[in-house]
Amino acid sequence: MSYSDKVIDHYNNPRNVGSMDKKDADVGTGLVGAPECGDVMKLQIKVNPQTNIIEDAKFKTFGCGSAIASSSLATEWVKGKTVDQALEIKNTEIVKELALPPVKIHCSVLAEDAIRAAIGDWKKKQEATKPAAVQAAQ
Amino acid sequence: MPGEATSSCWSCGTMRAVHFCSSCGKVQPPVPVDYFTFFGFPRKLNLDTSALEKEFYALSRRLHPDVFGQADTRERSWSLEQSSMLNDAYRTLKDPIKRTEYLLRLEGVELEEQSKQATEKARATGELKKQVVPPDLLEEVFELNMHLEELRIQKKLGEDDPALLEEIGKAKLSLEEKYEALFNELKTEWNNWDKSVDNGTADGTNDDRRRILDKMLDVLNRRNYVRNLVRDVNEALEN
Repeated sequence: MSYSDKVIDHYNNPRNVGSMDKKDADVGTGLVGAPECGDVMKLQIKVNPQTNIIEDAKFKTFGCGSAIASSSLATEWVKGKTVDQALEIKNTEIVKELALPPVKIHCSVLAEDAIRAAIGDWKKKQEATKPAAVQAAQ
Repeated sequence: MPGEATSSCWSCGTMRAVHFCSSCGKVQPPVPVDYFTFFGFPRKLNLDTSALEKEFYALSRRLHPDVFGQADTRERSWSLEQSSMLNDAYRTLKDPIKRTEYLLRLEGVELEEQSKQATEKARATGELKKQVVPPDLLEEVFELNMHLEELRIQKKLGEDDPALLEEIGKAKLSLEEKYEALFNELKTEWNNWDKSVDNGTADGTNDDRRRILDKMLDVLNRRNYVRNLVRDVNEALEN
């Protein structure tokens, strides 16, 4: 099996590798793993609470080239999107963009899971930090 | 005698066993059966491996292509096919993990398919997908991978950090313990599965079985994860 040029590009020049402070209220962290291959993927987003736009994204993935490329691409795609728009990203779009072979589809599933998990974490924090405001509005 | 099937011998027309005619003893064409049936065992996971081995050697001798050197072409090719199936079946059933994975496949449990479907469901409903690998294990895995990366960089630079090595060593021990514990967890599910096979098709058995199969898949997934990680640790320590 050979990797596509796009996978190799992301693998050699991964975008947005790094981490953010997971305690920051505007940061959402998604940590997911694929038992098929033992990959583990951490994806973090920083959301502007006024606009709900994802202003920054970082990832760190331990796994094969396809997993690294999928998460690298995912960070590129979520940046500049609103949280709701980011939730619309489908793993099949990642498969298409990176020309992943069938045996590597689970890498794209993992990337989608990571986006969702990060957004889920951020939403949970938002609800936790704003109970007073929500109660006041009711 | 295990494995009595209900079709008739191609040669003498009487009822036959799976591999040989019980009446005239001629080798039979292989029938598409699962590996449990091939050996005449019930579809259970607690398997008497010494009985399996005995049966394997007995059949090996009788099915060996050399025995059929003088037989007609059909019998020669049947003995070859049966021998090859015998080897596959034996290799699969004697290994406890392969046996479990084989049963899951037989019962139509597909890991990757399940994960994909769960993601699609999460997308459709907006609910969070339940991760196969529990969060605390993931944290541990991520942390350990960070340490391993550090170790590889240090080794490249020719540096040595005893504290890091100790940290990795401790993590490795903890993983090995988990690995053992997971096998015991799997055996518990074997017992549950075998019990449900004994109960036959009583009410609620299907739901029960599905639950047991899912649980076994879950244990195997976690076990694979831990196994790969221990392998990575060993590689990083050796290089």
